[in-house]
Amino acid sequence: MTPTLLFVVLAGLAAVPGLYRLLAGPTLTDRVIGLDLLFAVAIILSLTAALLSQRTVFLDVAIGLAVVGFVATLAWARLIQVRAGGESE
Amino acid sequence: MSAILGWLICGLALAILLIAALGVYRLPDALSRQHAATKATTLSLTLFALGAGLLAWDATWTWRLILLVAILFAALPLASHALGRAAAGSNEVE
Repeated sequence: MTPTLLFVVLAGLAAVPGLYRLLAGPTLTDRVIGLDLLFAVAIILSLTAALLSQRTVFLDVAIGLAVVGFVATLAWARLIQVRAGGESE
Repeated sequence: MSAILGWLICGLALAILLIAALGVYRLPDALSRQHAATKATTLSLTLFALGAGLLAWDATWTWRLILLVAILFAALPLASHALGRAAAGSNEVE
């Protein structure tokens, strides 16, 4: 089961640019993109936790993370649109 | 055999995730960063779910992973479209 620990390290490495974009992105859109990447890393880490512990509970966590990430991105997109002054639709 | 294939597919998914992270770090403007973040991430998550399903050869895992991939395929294009349209409509990106 050692490759799973390598998966954790690689996914954590992929989280670093996402965190950088989240903190230092020039525009609000860049920060939301960093958040998207962090959600993807979180889903992969959750699946890895399911593989490590052999429990299906973490798969439910991954499904919940996917739904929450979808709603969060939609809300941020709406906020960006409203802040730019486009109240249409 | 199935286990080796599962490890290989999971490793490929993580390599694609790292490439997506590199794209988010390196690409010049917000819309191209979003292009890197969305498409490569979708492929990576789907491949990782496939690899996990091959590793744990079990029906309860398979159904949950199929549900996860279905939710991702429905949600990620919609979310990225909404975000891209909002970003193009605001005048921060050009």
